[in-house]
Amino acid sequence: MKKIEAIIQPFKLDEVKEALIGIGIDGMTVIEVRGHGRQKGHKEIYRGQEYTVDLLPKVKLELVVPDSRVDEVIQTLAGAARTGKIGDGKIFVSEIAEAIRIRNDDRGEAAL
Amino acid sequence: MTGEKQRSSIAPETAWDEVRGRFLATGDAAGALEARSALVDEAVLAAWRRILAPACPGGMALLAVGGYGRRDLFPYSDVDLLFLVETPPAGERKQALAEFLRVLWDEGLRLSHSVRTPKECCGLDDNNVELSISLIDQRLLAGDRALYETFRRRWPRFLHSRRQDLTDHLCRLARERHAKYHGTFQHLEPDVKETPGGLRDLHLLEWLERLHAGTEDAPRPAGELGPARSFLSAVRCFLHFRAGRDDNRLSFEAQEELARQSFVPAGGPAALMRRYYLHARAVHRVAERTIDAYEGRHSTLFRDFRRWRSRLSNNEFTVIRERIYFRSPAAIPHDPELVLRLFEFAARHGIEVSPDAERRIREHLPAIENYFSESRPHWVALARIFKLPHAPVALRGMHETGVLAALLPEWKNVECLVVRDFYHRYTVDEHTLAAVEALADLRRPQQGRRANFAGLLSESPEPELPALALLLHDLGKAAADGNHTRHSLEIADRALERIQLPLRKRSHVLFLIEHHLDLSAAVTSRDLDDQAVIRNLAQMAGTVERLKDLVLITYADVSAVNPSAMSPWRMERLWRLYLAVHQELTRELETDRIHSAGASGEQAAFLEGFPRRYLRVHSAEEVAAHLELARRAQQRGAAVRVERRNGVYEVTVAASDRPRLFASLAGALAGFGLNILEAEAFSNAAGLALDVFDVEDPNRNLELNPAEVERLEWTLERVATGRLRARDLLQARPSRRRRRGAGIEPRVTLDNSASETATLIEVVAEDRPGLLYQLARTLSEAGCNIEVVLVETRAGKAIDVIYVTREGRKLPGADGEALREALLEAAAGR
Repeated sequence: MKKIEAIIQPFKLDEVKEALIGIGIDGMTVIEVRGHGRQKGHKEIYRGQEYTVDLLPKVKLELVVPDSRVDEVIQTLAGAARTGKIGDGKIFVSEIAEAIRIRNDDRGEAAL
Repeated sequence: MTGEKQRSSIAPETAWDEVRGRFLATGDAAGALEARSALVDEAVLAAWRRILAPACPGGMALLAVGGYGRRDLFPYSDVDLLFLVETPPAGERKQALAEFLRVLWDEGLRLSHSVRTPKECCGLDDNNVELSISLIDQRLLAGDRALYETFRRRWPRFLHSRRQDLTDHLCRLARERHAKYHGTFQHLEPDVKETPGGLRDLHLLEWLERLHAGTEDAPRPAGELGPARSFLSAVRCFLHFRAGRDDNRLSFEAQEELARQSFVPAGGPAALMRRYYLHARAVHRVAERTIDAYEGRHSTLFRDFRRWRSRLSNNEFTVIRERIYFRSPAAIPHDPELVLRLFEFAARHGIEVSPDAERRIREHLPAIENYFSESRPHWVALARIFKLPHAPVALRGMHETGVLAALLPEWKNVECLVVRDFYHRYTVDEHTLAAVEALADLRRPQQGRRANFAGLLSESPEPELPALALLLHDLGKAAADGNHTRHSLEIADRALERIQLPLRKRSHVLFLIEHHLDLSAAVTSRDLDDQAVIRNLAQMAGTVERLKDLVLITYADVSAVNPSAMSPWRMERLWRLYLAVHQELTRELETDRIHSAGASGEQAAFLEGFPRRYLRVHSAEEVAAHLELARRAQQRGAAVRVERRNGVYEVTVAASDRPRLFASLAGALAGFGLNILEAEAFSNAAGLALDVFDVEDPNRNLELNPAEVERLEWTLERVATGRLRARDLLQARPSRRRRRGAGIEPRVTLDNSASETATLIEVVAEDRPGLLYQLARTLSEAGCNIEVVLVETRAGKAIDVIYVTREGRKLPGADGEALREALLEAAAGR
């Protein structure tokens, strides 16, 4: 099992969600986050006062999938989230040791 | 019905099944509660006789306390026992006690127990006030009667001496509990015990009633709440039987199941919940009134404050103990406006209406409804209330007394209306009131990002209009087809016509309602870095003024969806959206000009080259009047019109454009002692300048001397044609500097990227007489030609947006810095 964490543009959330549901992924966690990567914050001027927006609002998606589906999910996710501009976000993949369904104690991929 | 997870008592299963069956057939909760108390009594007494009675022949009594003491035992509620003892049990007695508890626990009772001597029972332990409160409902089950009598003798004395402490404690607990549920009973999935207006509030009322029984200010028994009690008890009973445990949350699934029960009137979950809210509202209202009446009575500071507030009384209303009373309630039918003045009074001082005044209003409600059903300019009173600092207090009072529904019968459509979606936590009426509160809250000092939104509200020229839009924005929610915006718009249009809101204001309010979802949709699902998105939104908003109000109602509407809906994340996105659209609208001012390409005629020629904003802010009548002015200007070089509207003077000048024109006009107005609130200036392709000033007349010079208006027109005409110098006019005036509020540090920005042909200068400074003249003169002296001006002054702060060119081009960067310095000095008044 792998955990896929994706930081994406907020306005792409619906599209990404639909694309994932389209390939049969129906469980995910969505978090509103703020942060920055290489797309550093920028300066805004309003009323003559300059201030830096260093943390940009983004959306983070978390999902855990069976090993066999990782590539497909990443492709779908990246395809749906891409605008080709700076700030599209990143995807991180990590190993998951165990998954347990609290209700009935299913283990491993059966719990996903 | 899920399976039994836990047996409710040691009574035979059949007896328990019978209780449940009877309840589900009849919905009679009182019967079920009594039956369970009796079953538990049997079990407890049997165990007592078998285990404790032999071990403790004397010196111990068993008391039922709390809900069990009241014989108010819900199917899966805890059973509270108190062991009254002479001395703390030890040895064999202690073992017997443990055995007794274990047996009952094993047989399925969830017990909570305490062991106390009569003396301990009659002392107030700050860490365990709950024990004293549970003892209010005690009854003897078994054991040493003499010991029990000792307690019974001490108890009333104790209650009497600590009455106020217990009362304060109860009230504080209730307030904390209400705060936990955000002070509203209108949760979509309420906890029928704990939510405001739930069973806990009924208990509170009973406890206060018992505590103060026999005293001069004993509360009136809450007899009117009988139906609410039966209803809430039946719901809780059902929830317990449904879950097989102490579950009090009326979830959506539970609502559906309950609505299908035979003892519930037909109508489905929606009708059921409406009944729930009506009962909860009644309970909540009585509970709040009672808490207010009893809390903190022995604090002299509090009394003094109340006494001081009573000085606010006037010839129509009296303030007693922080509540408003009518002086002559009999006048209501002859003068229904008195009711609105009452709420205006509440909005001004933040004092709630007394129960007595509420009763009087309800008595006369038919007369009030009759009066308000006729079309009259009721908007004036409503706008006055919205402008006051405590408007939400008044609005809630109007809602609760039915006055709001009398004024806006459309309001009835959304009262206690449930929206079943994942996000909304409140019914539509509560959501609406919470939105108006969120907006009003921005008047108070705010921290962080909220301070930006508070700034927008302080700049809104008519803050009552976004509030009015919020009040009406969801009235169409009752419509079934899901397009509530369109229905709200239709309903609001009719309502606003009936309360005779003037056309210009009405179209602004309707605009806000029509677009109240646009910005929040953009925040969640649009790329805010995409210029096309921003341009579309700028086009939709049209002007900065409308954009600001739209941002405000979006902020308030989202904040009122649920307590965490306006997350810092959303707030950040909404603010960035505002900045981007604001910048686009400012840019457009200079770049987006009217080109009637091909269209001929006098009006087309007149409009050619004006910023597109001109047509967005001026009505057809105004354009016609300006055209007339332009005709006169062509003959005589300049033409001036001064008009009084809504307490301010609108001064319009048409003249052939020339250097220093704007500065001279601003100077001349300052020379007359007039303060410029708003100004816009631009010229068309033919070189005609049109300058519009909204000015206030703080010395009432124009109002008291009609001849001065003529002199002003005459002077402005001569200044516009260069026959009179503004500087001479100003020198004749004594220089007087006024300070309003805290000093605002002046700020000046120059931006060469906003437009292709001109430099954008933005000045923010503390307002003072002659400020605009000083700024404009500084620009003229630097050789700049003023292309477009937009000035706003609110709450002592002037925000000036000016586009300038020099010799038809932008200012070079190096000159810009020198000009910035000069403007800063002018703005600071040095």
